[in-house]
Amino acid sequence: MAKLNLINKIFNAGPLILLYFLSSSEIDTNLEKVFEIFSFNLPIIIIYFWILKRPSVLGTGHIFFAGLINDVVMGYPLGISSLSYLIVCFFSNYVRNKSVNTTIASDWFTFFIALMFANLLFFSLLNNFSDVVISYTKIGYNTFFTLFLFPILWLIFSFYQANFIGGQDA
Amino acid sequence: MSVSRDDFSIAFRSALLQRGGAQKFSILSLIILAIFIFFLDIYGFVVVKKARSIINDVVFRITYIVSSPLRFIPNASTNLSSHFNLKEENEKLRQVIENYKSLDLNLEYLTNENKNLRKVLDAENIVNEKNIVLAKVLVDRNSPFLKSIIINKGTQAGIKKGMPVTQDNYLIGRIVETNYLSSRILLLNDLNSRIPVTLGNDSAQAILTGSGTKNPKLEYLPEGYVFEDEITIFASGKDGIFIPGTPIGKTTLNSGKYDNEIKLFVDPNQLSFVTVNLVRLNKEKF
Repeated sequence: MAKLNLINKIFNAGPLILLYFLSSSEIDTNLEKVFEIFSFNLPIIIIYFWILKRPSVLGTGHIFFAGLINDVVMGYPLGISSLSYLIVCFFSNYVRNKSVNTTIASDWFTFFIALMFANLLFFSLLNNFSDVVISYTKIGYNTFFTLFLFPILWLIFSFYQANFIGGQDA
Repeated sequence: MSVSRDDFSIAFRSALLQRGGAQKFSILSLIILAIFIFFLDIYGFVVVKKARSIINDVVFRITYIVSSPLRFIPNASTNLSSHFNLKEENEKLRQVIENYKSLDLNLEYLTNENKNLRKVLDAENIVNEKNIVLAKVLVDRNSPFLKSIIINKGTQAGIKKGMPVTQDNYLIGRIVETNYLSSRILLLNDLNSRIPVTLGNDSAQAILTGSGTKNPKLEYLPEGYVFEDEITIFASGKDGIFIPGTPIGKTTLNSGKYDNEIKLFVDPNQLSFVTVNLVRLNKEKF
């Protein structure tokens, strides 16, 4: 029984471990070596999905901390990724409070709004308060591919939730 | 109508302020904290800078450790395949040795010629080789927006902001952030990189600008300049930062995306050891 509990805890911690791993490791979702314009923001998808479906899996403190680590590794001003992650988190919380049953299509639509707000905040802060110059084309591609890949990752995470975490949505 | 407005405000407030379960902090408090940290970092208070430097050192080490399994996998497959190709490799090495033997004959002549030419040029900016630091690349995270790498040497080794960084004597970038035990290098292909360069027989001056893609491009070429293929680009040193004559890359007409693109001698995605030149050149006085 105790062993089963431990396994459950490990599976429950999976998304959080993945979030920290993506923030702190060299692994990235910028696959421009394969396809020049291809990059997407996996942490934002993870945060949106799990806060929407299972908020107990990701704590807001962890999301904030993962954002700080991401800023240090990427060389952005401290706090900017945390802010963008927390905006996504807020949208996801709001949608969860307002809706009873969600479908992949409704989640996709609300994710689009959350992503737009998060990216808008991220890049307007970077543009107005930092010396870092960023290509708008790359932002566009990144947003597009993040949005485009959301349904695929939605299915993968739903499968993971159904088979490894269990129970119903929050 | 008023009910739906109430609904909205309840859901909104709840999303911002709700705590419980794994949510130990409310989103609102964390957003305020993130904004506070952001502005502290942007306006660069001394205490924050020092704190950030320590955080950077710790996080870069953690990142290096966390990423080590990822590095091991490609290395293991390479080692395995090279083990099976030993005979072939041996023959290739023999050929390389023969080539080196023939090259060695020319070396003495070239060394003398080089010495004489340096005397003629009276090159005051030639770098003293003692003033270089060899550093290992700790983190090479390929961000879609910023092209930079982290090395394992910092202010402790005498590295300062702005110092040029090379690999095999080819320029790859400059130091933009220093910590006690680590530094960040801005690569030549980053959108924020601008370097004065010289090219061609007539020593045309231009600015090498990062484009965010693999190859940087040349801007501010002389009026009417005809861009040709395979011309070597050197740092001009006009900014007083980069060492004049450091080779960077060759012009290329076949890469496609931008006009005036430069193919770098060193692939920015394949860096493992780099050299930081500790000598900071003075700006030219007129």
